[in-house]
Amino acid sequence: MEESKEQILVKHLLKKEEAAWKELFGAYSRNLTYVCSRYLAEKEDVHDVLQNSFIKMFRSIESFEYRGNGSLKAWMTRITVNESLKHIKQKGDFKSAIEVDDLPDMPNEEEPDFEEIPRDDIMMMIRSLPEGYRTVFNLFVFEKKSHKEIAGVLGIAENSSASQFHRAKGLLVQKIKEFKMSKKAQYE
Amino acid sequence: MNNEWLNNLRSRMDDHEEEVPEGLWDDIKGELFSEEENNSIPGFIPQVHEGGAGKKERTIGKGQKSLFYRIGGIAAAITLLFLLMKILPQNDTEKILSHKPEGVKKDDKNSLQPIETEQVSGSEVQSQADAFLAENIVKTEDPKEGLTQSYSAPGKKNEIGNIQDIIKLPTASEAFQQESKIAQKVSPVDDTVKEPVIENNVDEVLFEQEKIKEVYAENTKSSTRKSRDKKSWMLGLLTGNIASNSAEQQFPGYASITGKVMNVEQVWTTSVYHDDPLMAILLANQSQPVEARIRHKVPVTFGLSVYYNLGKRWGIGTGLNYTKLSTELHSGSDNNYIKGDQTVHYLGIPVQVNYNVIQKGRFTGYITGGALVEKPISGNITTTYVVDDQIKESSKERLEPKPLQFSVNTAVGFQLKLIDKVGIYAEPGIGYHFKEENAPNTIYKEKPLHFNMKFGIRVLLD
Repeated sequence: MEESKEQILVKHLLKKEEAAWKELFGAYSRNLTYVCSRYLAEKEDVHDVLQNSFIKMFRSIESFEYRGNGSLKAWMTRITVNESLKHIKQKGDFKSAIEVDDLPDMPNEEEPDFEEIPRDDIMMMIRSLPEGYRTVFNLFVFEKKSHKEIAGVLGIAENSSASQFHRAKGLLVQKIKEFKMSKKAQYE
Repeated sequence: MNNEWLNNLRSRMDDHEEEVPEGLWDDIKGELFSEEENNSIPGFIPQVHEGGAGKKERTIGKGQKSLFYRIGGIAAAITLLFLLMKILPQNDTEKILSHKPEGVKKDDKNSLQPIETEQVSGSEVQSQADAFLAENIVKTEDPKEGLTQSYSAPGKKNEIGNIQDIIKLPTASEAFQQESKIAQKVSPVDDTVKEPVIENNVDEVLFEQEKIKEVYAENTKSSTRKSRDKKSWMLGLLTGNIASNSAEQQFPGYASITGKVMNVEQVWTTSVYHDDPLMAILLANQSQPVEARIRHKVPVTFGLSVYYNLGKRWGIGTGLNYTKLSTELHSGSDNNYIKGDQTVHYLGIPVQVNYNVIQKGRFTGYITGGALVEKPISGNITTTYVVDDQIKESSKERLEPKPLQFSVNTAVGFQLKLIDKVGIYAEPGIGYHFKEENAPNTIYKEKPLHFNMKFGIRVLLD
């Protein structure tokens, strides 16, 4: 069986060769920056968390198990998400920000329609969500976690996670509307 | 609930990328590849950490700081190495520790480098041992002197390589360089298969009085006191690879770790049932050439020894040696194979007689001969079946039987007194291990007669 590129890279990573790690960084850092930026609004935080994530990968590459193409990326993403969550939790104000039940419920049941929105603007919208909403939204949408899992990870109630998500969704619908309006205004 | 928008968003953003924060790689590189050997090795003893910086300053600045310190440091290093490898029975380790609390305290600094080297180089025991020894040699003398001496010594290519590498360590600004060097070192060491003589031993002596008392009761105490010139005890700590002509055996077909070639019948009877991993390997290799390689790794020896001078010319010595012998088996083709790892731990008691042939000023030439009894204290074989590069099954078994291993050795030694009670020596020699049919297939069995070279430091105790 031929070894895939990924496997070969992992072999070199295991030897802790600087060149291999540089290659890994070159290949995945942009995507991981995106992953990280979904969770963290501050540029500096993104920098710190990515740095920690790579160090973590470096130290725990032995535990990586190759399970087919893409498993390396998935593994790296997992580490980055975990580090991001750790960072959010460390900042402390997380829980208080997320357990806000006195916000008015968003009335609309609309689904956000991202179809025509450029990706960079989608990112902007996600990043402009309040931290608690954003975290739940990201975990639910991109990490495909259930509300039960999210509740476990973040230490909040399950229905709290669901309502956070619901509100995040509502906010995004609003933002998309605003965005389209402003675009329209530009053309007129 | 309609999840379509979720899936759309997911697939839309899946390979999205963002601008990487500026200078991120430099920071990561700084963190991982320069710090790695100075600090921040996970699980590393913090005390030793701090010593790191201090140690460098010392070696660079004050090469001539008390020798005692350095010896203490090396002793401590060896002790720590012992502990790290968890190879000695508990009480033995404790004994060594209790002998040298001073050494450990005085100078964890020196101990830092070797241990780190080990951490970095990871699994390859022989390479670390080499590096470690090389460094000891360098440390015990003036750095430059050490280097030139080693250069001039014949048949020591490997050490020279190691010394060079090690010397670079403190100065190399890019840590990664060092790391890769250490990694590469593995191969030079492996190359020694063909080189007749390479091997390192460092003999270390400690002078805590307590130690003598402890180990050798009262009667010796009085005699040492009375006639310190004629009879004196020397206590040595020895470490090294007793013979680095590591050996490789090759067979066509399949073989087991004992070196026996498996015949067809054997092969097929072992694979009666269907999901036997051996069967899988055999099937996968049906149309491929297969061969078995057995590689004996360089033995690694540590020891504690005591010498007693009988008069001017004669001396006897004994002690305790620990030796680790590793053997690897690779049987099959590149992707489908049986992998075996055998490790045998020996404890041995050497008896050595020295005769001083010539003594001129600081120089002593002597011949030495002796015998060594070794008992395998434990051994195991890990067998792994790999099919298509994937581990199919792995099993571990204990090694039986474990007969005693006898060997004799003789050597010519040269000793140079550095200061009053401290000397360095070199002993090229040969050793022969008697064949023991029941013994596990080790390098002793494969290469009973081998050349070796020991280096060391001897300190006279009075």
